[in-house]
Order: sequence, then structure tokens, then C-alpha cells
Amino acid sequence: MRRLFDWLDARVGFRGGRSVMLDEPLPPGTGWFFTLGSVLLALLAIQILTGAFLTLYYAATPDHAYDSVRFIAEQVTAGRLVRGLHHYGASFLIVVLALHLLRVVLFGSYRPPREVTWLSGIALLLLVLGFALTGYLLPWDQRAYWATVVSINIGRLAPAGGEFVASVLRGGATVGALTLTRWYALHVVFLPALLVLLVVLHLLLMRRQGISGPVRTRPGDPYPFFPRQAARDTAVILLVTVALGAFAWHGAPALEAPADPTDATYIPRPEWYFLGLFQLLKYFPARAEVFGAVTLPTIGLLLLAALPWIDRGRSRAPKDRPIVMAAIVVGALAVVSLTALGWRDRPGSGSPTAWPVRAIGGRQVVLRANCTKCHAEGDVADPLEATAITRSAEWIGGHVSDPEMIAPGLREPPTLRSDREIAAMVSYVRQLARGPYPGFPPQAEQTAGIIARYCIGCHKFDGDGGTDGPDLTHAGRKHDADWFRRWITSPKNVDPKAEMPAFGKRVAPADIDALAQYLVARR
Amino acid sequence: MSQPVDPAPGRRQILAAFVTAVTAGIGASLAAILGAFALKPSRAAASECWVHAGTLDDLTANVPVPHVVSVPRVDGWYRERARQMVFLVWDGNQQVTALSATCSHLGCQVAWNGETKQFKCPCHGGVYDVSGRVVSGPPPRPLESVAAQVRGGNVLVKL
Ligand code: FES
Repeated sequence: MRRLFDWLDARVGFRGGRSVMLDEPLPPGTGWFFTLGSVLLALLAIQILTGAFLTLYYAATPDHAYDSVRFIAEQVTAGRLVRGLHHYGASFLIVVLALHLLRVVLFGSYRPPREVTWLSGIALLLLVLGFALTGYLLPWDQRAYWATVVSINIGRLAPAGGEFVASVLRGGATVGALTLTRWYALHVVFLPALLVLLVVLHLLLMRRQGISGPVRTRPGDPYPFFPRQAARDTAVILLVTVALGAFAWHGAPALEAPADPTDATYIPRPEWYFLGLFQLLKYFPARAEVFGAVTLPTIGLLLLAALPWIDRGRSRAPKDRPIVMAAIVVGALAVVSLTALGWRDRPGSGSPTAWPVRAIGGRQVVLRANCTKCHAEGDVADPLEATAITRSAEWIGGHVSDPEMIAPGLREPPTLRSDREIAAMVSYVRQLARGPYPGFPPQAEQTAGIIARYCIGCHKFDGDGGTDGPDLTHAGRKHDADWFRRWITSPKNVDPKAEMPAFGKRVAPADIDALAQYLVARR
Repeated sequence: MSQPVDPAPGRRQILAAFVTAVTAGIGASLAAILGAFALKPSRAAASECWVHAGTLDDLTANVPVPHVVSVPRVDGWYRERARQMVFLVWDGNQQVTALSATCSHLGCQVAWNGETKQFKCPCHGGVYDVSGRVVSGPPPRPLESVAAQVRGGNVLVKL
């Protein structure tokens, strides 16, 4: 073995390489604060590895992206874990990056001659945010799609060339197939290439100048990186990796419904690291939005980049640099509190497993229309839960009202009467694609069917429904069951000016009773 | 800078062992996870399933009737439906047998000839009898038989 290594070393010189890698002299007093860079390297390596492996199964087309991500999460061995590592790895990376940046600022490590190292670090920060942005779209669910629409619209705000930038980012006229392939290419080819270049540059510069070390030079001799500092790095890396593994063990957050560009009712929610920016936007009136979304962050970034030229004192100790320290504390507080406020205000996501009333009602429609006669395992069409409902509601509406178009020769076209029934059916099938029907008491199903058919066109329930009538999400807070019964049977008898039609003749009294009970229970 | 100094040799060895062990541990876990991820795409093995092929009402006793069956094929995240032709032969009672319509020679689709009561392949003239045995021509094997069952008037075949 030894002779083999000797032979190899004589040709490759790996022992010299090893000593170059590991014997870097460090100033005395280099401590735990200086481990963050290595942690970042480790996290980057994990992102690159898991990302590379995820591409084995991912398909970047609107028709299949969602299905392929779901396949990874549900079918592939360890798929949930790998996706979880990649998902939470991004968040870890951003947190550690922020800490690293803070450490550099606190220690004044950007001081000459390390300005270029500092600038390359700022570029890396932007690059990592670019990865986060482009990666977010790839699962192609509602969350991904609408967050991307918002980001691109923010880009459009930029005064000069905003529209141009947005159209380049979009690829096509709207966020769609061309956007997806474009962002995928950025995420897996262009940005990684840039990342490797910048990381190498950052490290070479770091090695060339040596690390800055503690703010005040300590007495003593420099010591080599290996093994003392390397052990510190390793300990922190171990800690971070175990934490990341614990997050990933539970898997990345479940996918939402597949992206539906026609569903304008969806409320976009950005990933947490963009919440601050999102929150900032809320404080600016429409005309000044540019200022909040583009100008302010740009100024902040430029100031940060210019730090080595702004802060030119002799001492690196924080107490000798009060202005920079104050600015950084204010800046960090602003980012943290904006993010926290954004977190508190973020639109509710609704539990992905909760079944909206329309979807429950849709089951009644599906049963009545005999959909499962053909949509069954081993039959002429895929079972409903397996049909990829990546198509628009219009397409599905067309399919259910004229299946001849889709399956020529179908002998029994389902008889669907109204758009509302179609909408309920679509809602049911979409929900089914996310998880099996949990089952509800027959009376609840019956009531949901009535709501899906008669009420939801004008009234909203949990954010889904029409706006002609009042929102009934919390209907039970206002009236009692008897009032509802009388009102639904004949609104004019309760209030002569009522505009709602009477349902006493269309809905059986027992069902109106049940409906009244249901509404009262909504508090 | 002067030559960097090292910690005491004993301590040095412990630290070095720690670094090596942790690095190897993290590397090995990642390799195991990613290896399993790459090598075992799906836990669910692709399997044959019973597919609806027609109803008893469509069949005539002892006459092979061609039916196009739409077979769901799951290929990872991709679902598609293959169309496959089978001949269903009803014995007039409750028994149905099914034959693949794919010629065992080079894979053309055979047709039933009601007069000669034989299957004939249009490509190279292979001929089979009603139970799928080769009568003449190049086919090396009989027509493949397909498992079939009748359930409540519906004919199911296993494809
Ligand atoms: S393919 Fe049928 S005889 Fe050749």
C-alpha cells in the first residue's frame, strides 16, 4: 500500500496537494466563528449532490413536472428524504450564509486587502437567492406557480428595462412551458457553473490573503488548519447536517394542487426568505411600489457591497466602528422583523388534507354521473385519483360535457346539468389527486352536495365560491338554525327586501334543516 | 509567517481521527441515501392487471371476436394506455378464453377467417386454428393465450 502511494505521489504529487489544502497557517485565536465558511461549503456540496440526483427523475414540462415530483416524493426509494434534504438545504444555506456575512461584517474582515473577496461573497449571496427563486418554480404546483408569477411581476416594476427583464425571465407571453424549461436550465446548468467559478475564486482569494482572524492580533504563533480548526469545522458541520437530516426526515412540505394558471383565486405565498421583501411591498402605495420592491433593496445591497470603501478606519474592533455596527444592527433587525411580520401576516395555507365543501359535494356529482364506470383500475380510463388533473377547468368541463371529444364511441355520456356541477367535480378530482377520500357522514355529504349545487355560486366558503352573496365561512356567528331555515325557505318572508331566491320549493325540508344546522356549526 | 505550530501529537491524532470519522460518516450516509435513490426508482413493481375487455352480450358462441383492449401502463410518473387486440372465444356457457392477436412470427395482427375457421396472418401467411395452434406458415409458436375470466357478464383479461 505504502509503495503504491509513494508511486502515485511521485507522479501526481497528492501529498503536496494535501499539505496545500490542509496546512494553511491560521492566525492565533481563530475560533468557532470562523467555521461558517466550511459549513457553507458542506451545505453547497449537499445541495449539488441531491440536486444532481433529483434530475434523474424530474421532467421539466408543465404536463409532467408535477407528476414527476410527486413520483419522487411518493414512489422512489428515499425520494422523500432526498427531496427533503434539497428543500431544507436551501433554507439552511440561506441562514448560514446570512450568519457568515454577519460574521465578516462584525469582524471587519472585508477591510483591505480583502475587498474582492467581499465582493465575490456578495455575488455568491445573490447567486444563492437566484437558485432559491428558480428552484421554487420546478415542482409546478399552485404554490410554485403563483409565487413565480409574483416574482416576475416584481421584476416588471423596475423602472428601466423591467418589462424586458420580465419577458426574458418568462420566456413566453405568460408563465408557462417556456418559463419552466428556462428556469430549470438556469437552476441546473447556468447558475451552478457560475457558482463553482465564484466559489473557487472566493476560496483562492481567501487562501491568497489568509483569513483575517480575530479583530485584535493575539500573541502566539500561527497554527495549521489541520487538525485543530478542521476539527472545529467538522463539529459544526456535523451539528448542522444532523439538524438538516432531522428536517428532511419529515420530507419537504407536501405538494399543493397542480399549477392552474386559470385559477386566479389562489393567494400566492412566497418562501420564507422572500417574506421580508413581500412584507416591505405592503407598506408602499401602488405608485411607490418600485421604491419598495426594487430601489430600497438595491440601495441596501450597494451599500453593503461598498462597505470596504465606506468603513476605512484602522481598527477592526466593533467598538471602534460605531456607525457601521449601528447600520448593520438596524439592517439586520429590519430584515428579521420584516420577515417575522411577513410570517405572521402570511395568508393562511389551509390544511392540505382538509376537504373543501365544494370537493365533498363534487363526490355526489361524480357518483351521480357514473364517472367511475369507466374511470376504474383496469378499465377503459384511468381511475379518477390517477388522472393527472393538470388541465384547466375549462378542458375538464369540456371533457365531462362532451366526452365523445376525448373518448370516441363512449356510449353513455354523463349528464351534467350546470357549470357548478362541473366545478364541484373538478374540485373533487383535484382533491382526490392529493389524497384518498376520507369519508364523511352521509348527511354531511348530502349537505355538501346541496351547497356545491345551489349556494357556492353566490357565497364563499373558506375562500372558495362566488361573491354575489355574503361570505358564509363563519355564518354561525350571526344567526341561529331557525333563522337560517326560514331564510333559505323564503328570504322574502324574513326580509321583504331580500334579493336571494327562495329555495323552499327546490330543496327538501329535511335538507334545508341539515343545511341550517351546518351553517350554524360554522363559527 | 513562520512555520505553523501543531498541537501536541496525542491530541493531534484524536482531532484527526474525529475529522476523518465525521467526514466519512456524513459521506457514507449521503452515498447510501443517494445510491438507494438512484438504483431503486420504484417500490411498486409493475404488474399485470385484470382489464375490462367487453361483455358476454357482444360474443357469439365459439367464434373468436376481436376486441381492442386499452391497457394502462405505468412507467414511473408517466401513465399511458397501450391498445392491444385480443380474440375472445366464448364457449356458449360461462367460459371465455382469450388469445393474443399478435402473430408469434414477427408480430403482425392476425385476422379470423369465418369460412376456413382459422386465424390468418396477413404478413407472411401464417395460419392458426381456432385454439391458436400453428397450422401452417412460418410462425414458430402458437398464438399466446391470455388469462380471461367472466365476472357478472363482463369479460376481464389479464394483460
Ligand atoms: S408475422 Fe405473421 S406470419 Fe410473419
